[in-house]
Amino acid sequence: MQPGFSILCFQASADLPFLVFYQRKGVMHAAASLLNSSNLSLRFASQTQTRLSPWIAAPSSVRLPLNRSQNYRIALPPLHSTVSGDSTQPQQMASADVKAQDPRIAGISSAIRVIPDFPKPGIMFQDITTLLLDTKAFRDTIDLFVERYKDKNISVVAGIEARGFIFGPPIALAIGAKFVPMRKPKKLPGEVISEEYSLEYGKDVMEMHVGAVQAGERALIVDDLVATGGTLSAAIRLLERVGVHVVECACVIELPELKGRERLGEKPLFVLVS
Amino acid sequence: MSAYKDKDARINGIKDQIRVVPNFPKPGIMFQDITTLLLKPKEFKDTIDMFVERYKGKNISVVAGIEARGFIFGPPIALAIGAKFVPLRKPKKLPGKVISEEYILEYGRDCLEMHVGAVESAERALVVDDLIATGGTLCAAINLLERVGAEVVECACVIELPDLKGRERLNGKPLYVLVESH
Repeated sequence: MQPGFSILCFQASADLPFLVFYQRKGVMHAAASLLNSSNLSLRFASQTQTRLSPWIAAPSSVRLPLNRSQNYRIALPPLHSTVSGDSTQPQQMASADVKAQDPRIAGISSAIRVIPDFPKPGIMFQDITTLLLDTKAFRDTIDLFVERYKDKNISVVAGIEARGFIFGPPIALAIGAKFVPMRKPKKLPGEVISEEYSLEYGKDVMEMHVGAVQAGERALIVDDLVATGGTLSAAIRLLERVGVHVVECACVIELPELKGRERLGEKPLFVLVS
Repeated sequence: MSAYKDKDARINGIKDQIRVVPNFPKPGIMFQDITTLLLKPKEFKDTIDMFVERYKGKNISVVAGIEARGFIFGPPIALAIGAKFVPLRKPKKLPGKVISEEYILEYGRDCLEMHVGAVESAERALVVDDLIATGGTLCAAINLLERVGAEVVECACVIELPDLKGRERLNGKPLYVLVESH
């Protein structure tokens, strides 16, 4: 299998083996009709890795919760927390893939709901609101970030409107940093600096209050998800323009096929689920 | 009831960090800006602590936060008291099936949405926002939660503008605030 292969895995009921579909080049025919069916309880995951054999060889080792007729990510091994560009361990990138994942990751991943065709057809939206309903998984999410950043002398946590406002403040409070909201235009009441960035069609603008951060501060940028990396890049530029050192970007979810990590250049990205 | 009247030692520090921005979003409005409070770790933590001390041990299983500044204060409270956090959002932001509540603005209408299934009947809920003005948004939030059978125990805001009488618009629900601004 080549990198970039996506696998969909359905289990119509707990008694049946997994049905495995795969897609190439974004086309998923069989999957679409099943997703529209209302008489199946579906669990599926999309995974762009080359390791199929653990899934097919041992379906009986996975018991999925069937008490909700909604679509959730499956936390099948191996789902890793991934780090890139960690300057203190230049040789560790290759070994990150085979390191055992933190046991809390599975619960976090399986609490995230995937909504097909939102906001438009073809998009599989990663919905973190279900994670927020799982008190243990939400607590674990924050703990994983806090453990990573608490001794890194970070004085600023910048959160991107609006879902970055949910994860950023608890992290900031726990590590003793200030919280700075990065907002859409005309929301912040005081004097702002603005950064324009590109969308798939058109442009958008991100703003930050003048004086919120000082030159020389060390910052973390937080959002729920990184896709193309456009929003995170704009946030990095805003902070760097006022002389802040962006230590890392932190997201709950990464969509690796959209290559957002590359768009961040040298800035490290830490995610829990990808 | 306002904690301001109760003279907790932390209240003055919190109030002092709130910035008033004149003529935003339009002439004549004195905007209460909480972003400056968020820049002070001690005072931001004190704010959360005062809510947590009030609500832990009250069997609250849901903290509902109103987009977007309610997303800043709600989750830390929810995490500390062991409740789930439910975002209440403007239309078309939530990806799943929603219920909607329309409410009146000074000019026109707006709408608040909540995911179906986020809250179950008989759950005890807290509604959180940064500020209460006319009470229209909070009233819509209360309605959403009551429509699915939840019990709204209280509304909690950092700031109240008492002259706008929002407290009277909450269907009889209690309101707890830290700071009043006249």
